[in-house]
Parts: sequence; C-alpha cells; structure tokens
Amino acid sequence: MVLKTSAPRKGGPGRGTGPEGIDTIPLRYGDDPYVWACWLYYEDGMTQGEIASAMGVSRATVNSYLADAREKGIVNISIEPARLASLTIAQELKRHFGLADCLVVPNGDDSRPLIGRLGAAGAQALSKMIKSGDTLAVAWGRTILSVGEHLEMGSLQDVTVVQATGGTTASFAYTPELTTAAVARAISARCVNITAPAVVASAQMHDMLLAEPLIREQFDTLARANRIVFGISSLRPNSTIHTSGFFESVPLQHYLAKGAAGVLAGRFIDERGRPVAGPLDDRTIGISLEMLRGIGTRVAVAGGFDKVPALLAALRGGYVNVLVTDAATGAGILRADGVTSLDGKLSQRQKSTPVANSYRSHVKKFLNNPNDVVEEMLDGLIAAHRPYLQPIGTSHRALVARNGPRPGKVGLVIGGGTGHEPCFVGYVGKGLADAVALGNIFSSPPPDPIVKCAVAASGGAGVLFVYGNYAGDVMNFEMAAELAEERGIPIRTVLTTDDIASSPVEDKEGRRGVAGNFFVFKVAGAACDLGMTLGECEAVTRKANDRTYTVGVALESCSMPQTRRHNFEIGPDDMELGMGIHGEPGVSRERVRTADEIVDAIMDNIFKEMKAEPGDKVAVLVNSFGATPLMELYILYRRVEQRLAAKNIQIEANWVGHYCTSLDMVGASISILHLDRQLTGLLHHPCRTAILTIHAPEADEAAKG
Amino acid sequence: MSETAARVLARMFERMSRVIETEKDRLSELDGAIGDGDHGITMSIGFKAVTAALAALDLESASPSDVMSTAASGFLDAVGASTGPLYATGFRRAGQALAGCDQLDLAACRDMLSAISEGIRDRGKAQRGDKTMLDVWLPAAEAAATAVAAHRQKPEFWKAVEAAAENGAAATATMVATKGRAARLRERSLGHTDPGAASAAMLIKAMAATL
Repeated sequence: MVLKTSAPRKGGPGRGTGPEGIDTIPLRYGDDPYVWACWLYYEDGMTQGEIASAMGVSRATVNSYLADAREKGIVNISIEPARLASLTIAQELKRHFGLADCLVVPNGDDSRPLIGRLGAAGAQALSKMIKSGDTLAVAWGRTILSVGEHLEMGSLQDVTVVQATGGTTASFAYTPELTTAAVARAISARCVNITAPAVVASAQMHDMLLAEPLIREQFDTLARANRIVFGISSLRPNSTIHTSGFFESVPLQHYLAKGAAGVLAGRFIDERGRPVAGPLDDRTIGISLEMLRGIGTRVAVAGGFDKVPALLAALRGGYVNVLVTDAATGAGILRADGVTSLDGKLSQRQKSTPVANSYRSHVKKFLNNPNDVVEEMLDGLIAAHRPYLQPIGTSHRALVARNGPRPGKVGLVIGGGTGHEPCFVGYVGKGLADAVALGNIFSSPPPDPIVKCAVAASGGAGVLFVYGNYAGDVMNFEMAAELAEERGIPIRTVLTTDDIASSPVEDKEGRRGVAGNFFVFKVAGAACDLGMTLGECEAVTRKANDRTYTVGVALESCSMPQTRRHNFEIGPDDMELGMGIHGEPGVSRERVRTADEIVDAIMDNIFKEMKAEPGDKVAVLVNSFGATPLMELYILYRRVEQRLAAKNIQIEANWVGHYCTSLDMVGASISILHLDRQLTGLLHHPCRTAILTIHAPEADEAAKG
Repeated sequence: MSETAARVLARMFERMSRVIETEKDRLSELDGAIGDGDHGITMSIGFKAVTAALAALDLESASPSDVMSTAASGFLDAVGASTGPLYATGFRRAGQALAGCDQLDLAACRDMLSAISEGIRDRGKAQRGDKTMLDVWLPAAEAAATAVAAHRQKPEFWKAVEAAAENGAAATATMVATKGRAARLRERSLGHTDPGAASAAMLIKAMAATL
C-alpha cells in the first residue's frame, strides 16, 4: 500500500525508546524528534552537525534519526506533504497572529474523527505547559472533553483545575462539570467546580449567587488561574451551542443579529473579536472575556471549517495565545485573513516533479460559437433521436417522448443541466421518461420548461418528478411543481441521492444524485408504464433510489466550452475518490492507484452500506465521466464482477459505457442497484429510448448482456 | 406631482441592470475563483430580461406590486440555475408585501427589503453564515427595520442599509461555502468574497440611489 499513513507514534519522549536528553522540542514538531530532525535536515538544509547542536544530541544520534525516519516511513513522499504542510501552517499562524505557540494536526489521517485528533493534540500541548502549582481553568465542550480524555500526566504537585463557567443540564456528555472533572482526573489535580448554573433567570439572581461565600470562593480560584484551555464554538446551526441547549434559542438570535461570530466560554464575540452585548450578559455565570484575556497561557483547541470565522474572531481579539487546530482549518484561517503566501509555500512543497508546464493553455473542442453549444447540441440531438422524442412547442429545452404520455398513466418528468449527455435526454421514450427539461451546462432549467414538461406528460393520473438533489434543481423544480399544481396536475417528487461519497449515511438526504439516476429513472419509468398510481410510482422510485449506491473517481477535471480550461486541477499523480459529476469533492484526494485497488476502495465503500446477503441480485453500471474509454471501463467491470462473485452476489444485469457524463472529465463511477423481486421486474420492463432499449420478455436474454 | 411609485421601481430596476452591466466582469471574476465563473453573465441576462419585461408594462396604471411580480417572472424565465428562483421568489414576495401600497415611504422600503430577503431565504433554505447573497440581504433588511423603528430620516436609513449590505458582503470572505457549487471548495472558498453577496450589495446600492 503506497498510501498508508504511518501509524501515530505511541508514547512520548522519556518513555520506552525515547530519545536521550531532549526536553525542549518546539511544540510544532509534536513529540517527535524524528520529524524535528528531518525538518531541520530536509527543509532547513542544516548539516547533521548543526542539527546535533540545535537539538542538543550527538551527531551519531542525528544520523540514526534520519536513517530511522526513512525506515519508519516518516520521510516518505506519500505522507510527508501532509505533515510538512501542517508544520508550515503552524509556523505561519504563529507568525501572523503573534502566538506563543501553535500545534496543527495533519488532515491526511482521516481514519480518526477530528475531535479525537484535536483532543490528542490539545492534550499533548497541555502536557508541555502545565507545571506544578498551576491553576488551570477549563471551559466546556466536546473538544475539551476529548482533551481531558487524552491527557495523562502523573508527576505534578499542587495543580488546581477550575471550571470556567457555571454548570448546565446533564443532557449531554460534555457539560462544564464533566469536562473539568475529566481534565482534573487526568492530571491528578484538585478539582474546583462552579456550583451555580451557567445561565440564570435574571441579573438579580446572578448578583445574589455571586454574593454567596461558597461561589465567591470558587470565583476567587478562577481569578487565580494562570492557564486556561477552551474550545471555540461557531454559531452555525449544528454547533454545540445549539445542540446542547446551553442557551435558549431566542437570545441566540439576538446575538446573531448583532453580528456574533463565535462563542468562548459562554461569551459572544463579533468577527473582530469585540464582545457582543446582549440579554444573556448579566445572567451568565462564568469567566468574563476580560478575565480570560488576562490569563497568561490561553490555549484554544478547535477545528473544522465551520469554525473558521469564530476562530479568526478569537485570534483577532487576542483571546488565544496557544492554538491547537487541524491543517485545513489552520490554512482556512490564514486564507480568510488574507494571508496568501501560504498557498505558494504549500504548493511548492507538494510539487513532486515540475510538470512540463502544460504547453497548451486550452483544451481542443469541436465548437462553433461557444455560447451556442447547448442550442446546437439540442438541434443535433433532436434530429438524431427523432424516433423517440420531439420538442414541446418551439423551445428545445422541453422535450416529450413520442408515444410516451397516455391517458390514465402517471407522467414521468426528469431533467437537469446539460453536459451530462446521454443523461437526461437519452432516457426519454416509451416505457421510460415522458418528458425532459434541460438547462444550460451544469445548471438547472428554469420552472417554465419544467411546467411545459409536466403538462405534456400529464395523462390525468399525476406527474412524478425525478431529478438529482442539487440546490438549483430543487428550487426550480419546486417552483414548477407549485405552478403545475395550480393547473390541477398533482405532482410528486423523488430526488436522486445515490452518491454515497457526498455525505455520510446520517445525512443521506443531503447526498447528490449522479449516475445511479439511470437505475432510478428506469424503475420509475417502468412503474409509470405499468399503470401504477402516483403514490405507488413514488414509493417504488424512492425504494430504487434508497437501494442505489454510486461512487465516482475523477482523474482529470472537465473543461467548459466557454473557457476551454480545466475547471479545477487534480495533481499530475492524483485522483479524487468520490467526486461528483460537476467536480464536487469526494472522500479524499489521493495518489492514483491500480484499477483493481480503485475498484476495491469503491466497492468497500458500497459494501459498507449495502446490506446484501449471499444469493442477492444486483444490477451494475460502470459509467464513464466522458473521456475515459470503454477499455478502461471493462477493466473496472472485471474487478467489480470479481468482488461481487466473492460475496456470492449475482449480477442480474449490467451496463458499461457512457451513461451520465461530465463533459470531458476523465474518470468513472460504479453504481450498484440492490434488487428485490419488484425492482427486478421493473428493471426488465420493456422500454425504447435513444440510449436504453429493453425488449419484451422473449428477446430479454439479448438485452441483459 | 412626482412620478408614480411604479415608475420609481422601474427606474430602480434599470439602475440595477446598469450597475450589473458595468460590474459583470468583476462579478464573473469573483465567481471564477470559487464557482464556474458565470455569475456576472447570469445576473446581466436576468436584469436585462427584467428591464425588457418592465418596458412592456404600462407604468401609468401599474401598481408597485405589478412591477415586482413582472420583474420576478422576467428574471426567472431568463435565468433558471439557482439565481433565478432566488431573486424571482424575492421579487414576488416583495410584490405581495407592496400590495395596496402606492407610495414608497421608508416603511414600504423596509417591507420590500425584508420580503426580498425572506423570499430568498425560504427558497434557498440557506441561512446566515452560509456564504451566500443572504449574508447581504438579511443584515440589510434588519438595518432597515432598526432604522424605521428609530424614526431615522431617509438619508440615514439608506446609509445604514448600505453599510449593512457592504459589511455583509465583505464578511463572506471569512465564511466557508456550504450551499451551491462553491461548497465543493470547502475551506478553499475562504478569503474570497461570495459573488452572489457582492452582486446583492450592488443591487442594494442601486436601490439606495433610486429610492
């Protein structure tokens, strides 16, 4: 495996085979003298002698570090860019925001959740900072609880850990009490909780509680804190601020409206880090922003893109002087604050071999006027596929199947942007879709042609809309559905969401629709043709969508006719696993692997979700994104067949070719439809379209391929 | 007698169209950084269609509400994509909000701004912080509401609205896109102003200059 990242190093210096005499490794190198040595050697170009004196070890040790680093795979083309990138980002953050220190965890290792990796890194940072006699204030949160869980320090004396805010309901695991207790336990420290609620009913209650001797004593301890560790919460809908019920939602809206960008220890700040005043201020029991800023060591542990504005606000406001975050967030913060030098540094590093600076500045295409591509394509397409479809009225953006719609039959309308040919237009004809609405390249049609399609497809039994789950398509089709219903045509909608790489399974509804459209359209078309009711057609189409799993891989991006340039870059030796049909990101950007390894990665992902038993039947679609030839598709199919056979899953039908493309993108996708009896019947139901023809049962064998 | 409210609104759309036309290359450039580079063209097509549709309307007898709904359908039929439904819904809602209203006082302007921003929000199901045009329309509408509540005069009202819009557009540079095609860039969208937010601020500026 070329792509495997090195295992996280267990145990720090001073334990086991730890290095001699090193106790001052700069934080950004983690606890890893090998990385430090390698950085000095490979990046800073120091000699082994210079490194020896910088690290305070012998030359022979440096020599063995460098040799070991290679053996252990630390110096390894495939993983080092991620590590070096995170070091570069840490240095840049430290410089740009004048931090005392900064630790950035690489993003390459996606096997562990971010919170866990941040927790481990935060624990590492704290363990280097906490000294005997310290008072450490601890704010609440998921990430900080994770810090507590990863922290392990035994040999300190007289350390006090104090809760930075009042308490909350215990309906979640990371309450202020539990977070503080976890940290205190990890370092065997005295634990001081604030025994009052974090938010109380009134300002009077706040003042009364703070006048209580017990609470005053707890606050005195808090005032003595010389270090604090805290998380940073955004105000985004999924942040802990909302889910924990820490604040009621009404005052939150107030702070949002006044420009709050983030929350630290229960206090709101705007994008510049200034306190945002609001109704909770006098009712919140806990450390104030002013107190926080007065503490000597202020360690913030936080990561995730959605926290970028909040982190930036906290950094701008000077609330943080030690930052622990991840590489992507760190780079995001720098970019958001206008630091562009980083991009140069990172790409310079990642460039393995200088690309023969593409001597051509554009992609060659068959074009007349680039602005007319869609119209000209449709002219040709309508002429070519005349036996199957015809324009509705004068516009070529709404096409109806010949012999498709008929009285009493549910109409099937599909559609979307162009550039995916033969999707969507190739699936219009008897037994499949009744009408298709087409937009510009990669862009949804407006409601008007969709309504025309609905009217043309309607046979009095209602119309089913089936299209990919994209923001633009959803808005236009929804508006069209409203307009069609005003005209008395009942509309049901099924969004295709087969791209399992686009969102985790918990957010299944948020996934996008890609080549698996093919199966979903086929099933829907058959259901409509068989005279099922609108409700039945919707239900079975939904089932087909739920049982269709697609993962795509892109090797090169596509180019638009207007620009004739690649829309984005995939590095010379890279591929994007899980890429969507407009170039949306997937699971990971990786080195290109062998065809079998790529299929294995895809099938592993699919098997994780598809609960198929031995003996089950599936349909397989191996689809080109445009530029990948059939030869390579068959190589992929070969491995798909092997993997399914190994699980004793039977391939009932297969299709290999161009079924849902992305202009001239190089890449392919694999879609699997997990069949049941009903779906098998619908899949074999006859249809006649430009791209897919299935004959009546007697000729069935030939069609199955 | 000054010109009718419908005429003023039509003039507002003409001004919007002119601003978009002048700035369309800049908008496309912004979009090129994080999208597919056609926002300027899309907006220009949309607003040309709006002015064309309004030219066909009899502004002597039309109500402000008619102007808004004509603008909505004009925009939508020409554009599609996601900008189309968003502005079309916004303008249509503004039309509903202005029903029965025949003069554009500050309360009417406030209602119009809030109807547009609510329409865009409902249609796009985005929220503040998603790095979209909503990050301009929502604060602008709120500034308008605050200004009316504080009995501000016209110049202060529009100054506050414009400032909120411009701050909103600038703030999108610090946000990560979660909606639309820019979402594909994730953190790479940071540092770039959202083109939809930038054009929204231009539209609000044009409103301020006309109303």
